[in-house]
Amino acid sequence: MSQATAAAMSPPFPAERGVDVYNKKLGMWIFLASEVMFFGALIGSYVILRFGAPGDWARPGVVLNIKITAFNTFLLICSSVSMVKAYAAIADGDPKNMRFWLLMTILGGACFVGIQVFEYIHLVERGFLPSGVRDGSELAEMVAKGTIPGATMGLYGSTFFTMTGFHGFHVTCGVLSMLYLYLTKALPGKFTTQDYAGIEVVGLYWHFVDLVWIILFTIVYLV
Amino acid sequence: METTHKHPPYLMIWLYLAVLTALELGLAFQLPISRNLKLLLLMILAIWKALLVGLYFMHLKFEKWNLRILAIVPIPLALIFIAAGMSEHIW
Amino acid sequence: MSTAAATAHAGHAHHDDRSFVQKYLFSTDHKIIGIQFLFLSLFFLLIGAILSLQIRWQLAFPGQPMPGGKLLPESMAAGGVLLPEYYLQLVTMHGTFMVFFAIMLLLVGVYANFLIPLKIGAHDMAFPRINMASFWSAVVAGLVMLSSLFVTDGSPRAGWTMYVPLSARHDYSGASLGQELWSISIIFFGLSSVLGSLNYITTVINNRAPGMTWFRMPLSVWALFITAILGLLAVPVLAGAAIMLLFEQILGTHFFDPSAGGQVLLWQHLFWFFGHPEVYILILPAMGMVSELVANGSRKPIFGYHSMVFAICGIAFLGWIVWGHHMFVSGMNPTLGSSFMVTTLLIAVPSAIKVFNWMGTMWRGNLRFHTPMLWGIGFVAMFTIGGLSGIFMAATPVDMYIHDTYFIVAHIHYVLVGGSLFAIFGGIVFWYPKMFGRMMNETAGKVHFWLTLILYNCVFFPMHIIGMAGHMRRIYDPTIYDFLKPVQHWNVFISISAFLLFGTQIIFFLNFWLSMFWGKKAALNPWEDNGLEWSLPSPAPHGNWDTPPTVYRGPYEFSVPGASEDYIPQNKKLPTDREPALAPAHGD
Repeated sequence: MSQATAAAMSPPFPAERGVDVYNKKLGMWIFLASEVMFFGALIGSYVILRFGAPGDWARPGVVLNIKITAFNTFLLICSSVSMVKAYAAIADGDPKNMRFWLLMTILGGACFVGIQVFEYIHLVERGFLPSGVRDGSELAEMVAKGTIPGATMGLYGSTFFTMTGFHGFHVTCGVLSMLYLYLTKALPGKFTTQDYAGIEVVGLYWHFVDLVWIILFTIVYLV
Repeated sequence: METTHKHPPYLMIWLYLAVLTALELGLAFQLPISRNLKLLLLMILAIWKALLVGLYFMHLKFEKWNLRILAIVPIPLALIFIAAGMSEHIW
Repeated sequence: MSTAAATAHAGHAHHDDRSFVQKYLFSTDHKIIGIQFLFLSLFFLLIGAILSLQIRWQLAFPGQPMPGGKLLPESMAAGGVLLPEYYLQLVTMHGTFMVFFAIMLLLVGVYANFLIPLKIGAHDMAFPRINMASFWSAVVAGLVMLSSLFVTDGSPRAGWTMYVPLSARHDYSGASLGQELWSISIIFFGLSSVLGSLNYITTVINNRAPGMTWFRMPLSVWALFITAILGLLAVPVLAGAAIMLLFEQILGTHFFDPSAGGQVLLWQHLFWFFGHPEVYILILPAMGMVSELVANGSRKPIFGYHSMVFAICGIAFLGWIVWGHHMFVSGMNPTLGSSFMVTTLLIAVPSAIKVFNWMGTMWRGNLRFHTPMLWGIGFVAMFTIGGLSGIFMAATPVDMYIHDTYFIVAHIHYVLVGGSLFAIFGGIVFWYPKMFGRMMNETAGKVHFWLTLILYNCVFFPMHIIGMAGHMRRIYDPTIYDFLKPVQHWNVFISISAFLLFGTQIIFFLNFWLSMFWGKKAALNPWEDNGLEWSLPSPAPHGNWDTPPTVYRGPYEFSVPGASEDYIPQNKKLPTDREPALAPAHGD
C-alpha cells in the first residue's frame, strides 16, 4: 500500500504503534472474530447434535440438491475472486475496472441469495421444514418407505435452516453494503488510490462470508 | 511491510479452489471408502480451501503476525466448545 | 501547572455548533454516550431492585398480602398475595435485568465509553457512530425486555439462565409471548455489546496518545480492554443460543427436544460457555476501577502493576475453560466435570494475586479515606468473601450438595453486589466531577457507604447459612418443608435488612441527582489523581483535547521521593523526561 494511502487511512493524529492497521480495517477484523464465534455456536451445535444423534442421518443428496448448491458454491467463490480483483484494481489505480469487478461481485452475491431462496422454496414444497418433515409431503412418504431415516429429520431441518439461513442473511447484508458503496462511492468516483478503505473492508467481510460457506457446504451438504 | 505492488496470483488461487471443490464433490458421491476416511478427507479439503481464501484473498499471509493471531484466536475457543459438547456422547 | 492550563484553554477553544438533539440525544460523543448509559442502567438497577423487594417479601412472609400487592393484576397477585407463577417471573426478571441491563451496562456501557478515550488520550472512540448505535440498540433491548412484563401471561419463568425445556415450551412454563420477547431482547443486547466491544478494542489498540505504551495504561483501561475481548467472543455465542431458543419457540425446531433427538444439555453448554466469560465481564472492569480508587486513596503506586495485568489476562484466559462448574449436577460427562473442577480451582489464583496486590498497595500508604476509597476497600473485603465461597463450589463433591441452594445466591451477590456494585458506586462518586462538573456530597457519600456495607452483609451473609441448611433457590414457599423451618427466621431477618438496604439507597439517589445542580463546583483534579482525564476541565469538553497529550510516565506515580507533590500526572513533563518515540506513520 502506498505511503499516501496509508496516511489517509491512519488514525487522525500520531499515536502509539498499534498493529499497524488502520482503524476501519482493524475494526472489521475484530468484528469477524465475533462472527467466527457466532457461526461457531451454530455450526458447533450442529456437530454436537449430529454426533450424538439417536440414529442415522439422511445420506448426502437425498434431501438436499447437491448439484445446484455445488454451482452456488462455485458462484460464491467466483464472486470472492471478483471482489479481490476489484480491490487489486483500485489499489493499482484503476477505478474503472474496480467498478466493473465490484458490480460482478454484487451480481454474483445476489444470484447466490436468489438460488438459495429458490432452493428453500423447493425444499418446503417437498416437505422439509425447520421442524422436520411435514406430514403428507413427498419427504414424509420417503420416511415411511425407509429411504430417509425419520428419527433425525427434526434435527436435520432445525440445523440446516438455521445455519444456512443465517449465512444467507449475512450474504444479503454483504450484497446490500456493496450496493450502497457502489452507488454512493464507487460510481461517483470517490474511491481513489489514496482512499479505498471501504473496498478493502467490505472485501474482508465478503471473503469471510465465502469462507463460512466453504465450511458449511462441506459439512452440511457433503457429509 | 506488506507487498505494495505485487498481488498474489488470484486466478491461480481461483483455479485451485475450483479443483478442490470438484475433488470434494467426487469424494461425496463416488469413492467406496469408509465413512470416517471420507469425512477426514472432506474436512481436509474444506480447511485447505478456507486457508486459501483467508491467506490470499484476505491477505493474511502478508499481514503482521499480531493480526493473524487476532484472526485465529476464536477458532480454538469454538473447538473447545465442540469438543466438550461431543464428549457428552463418549461417556 | 501551565501545561494543564494551556490544555484547558485549548479545550474551550474547540468550536461546537451541534444542535441539542445532536449534542444530547443522538450524540456520538463517548462521554455523553457514557452518561446516557449511566441513566439507562441506573433505571434498570432500580427496576431490578424493586423486583427483588417483592421476592424478599414472599420469602419472609409467604401467603401474606404484600403492601402494594393490590396494585398488581389478579393473575400476578390474588388479593395482594403473590402467586407462584408471578414469583418465578420475579426471580427470572430480577436476574435478567440486573445482570444484563444494570451491571453490564454500568460497568462496560458507562465506564468503557467514558473512561477509555479520556485515559488513553484520544479525541473519541474509533467509531463514534457505531458507539451511538450500540447505545440505542441497548435501549431497544431494554424496552423489549420491559415489555415482557406487560404482555399476556407475563414474563418468562425459567430463571435468568433460561434452561430448556422449561424455557422452550410454552406449555411447561406458562409464558408465551414474554418468553419470545426475552430472546429477541437478548439478540438486540448482543448486537449492542458486540458493537461496543469492537469499538473499545480498536480504540485501545490504535488510538493511544504518544507515550501511552501498553504498560503505561491504567489498570482500568487494561481491564476494560480485556473485558471487551471477552464480550466480543462470548456474547455472539449467547446470541446464537437465544436464536436457537427463539426458533425452538416459534418455528418448532428440535435443538433441545430429546423426543426428536435434540439435547437438553446443549443449551446449558451454550449458555454457560457464554455465561462464564460473562461473569468475568461483570467483575474485571470493577477490579480495574478499584485499582484506580485504591491507588489514589493510598497515595501509592499499585503494588505489582505487571502482575495485575497478567492476572487480568490470566483470569480472562482461564475463564474460557471453566464453564462446566455451573453444570456439575446436570448429568454431564463426569470426566469432563473433573477437568472443570481443576481449571476452576486454578482460576482462584490470579484473583487472589489481585487481592494481595490491593492489600500491598494500601500497606503503609498515606491513606485518604474519601468515599471512593471506602468503596474500594469495601470491594476488596467483600469480593474476598465472595471468592472464598467460590472455592467451595469449585469442588464438585461439595457443589453437589450446595448447587441451587442459597449458598450459591450468597456467592453471586457477594461478588456482584459487594464486588461489582461497590466498585460502581465508588466509580460514580470518583468520576462524577469529570462527568457533571460538580462534586457529590462527601458526608452523604460516607453515610451511604457505611449503611450499605452493614445492611448488605445482613442481607447476604445469612444466605450462606440457610444455603448450607439446604434452602433451595427459586422456591416460592420455603415453609412447606419441615427441614427449613429452623432457618425461616433468617429469611425474615434477610428481608427486613433488604428493605432497609433499599431505603438506604435513597441517600445515594438524592445525592446523585441533587449534586448535579447544587453540588460543589469541581476543580480540574479534585482527587489529585494521575490519569489523563484529570488534565481536562470538569466536565470534559467535546473532542477532549485539541492536540493529544504526551505521556511521560506510568499511571500510579504517587508519593515519588523528591517530587514537589504526592502525585505526578501522566502528561506532566519534568525536566528529566524525554519525549516518547513517535510511532512511524502507518504503511511504511
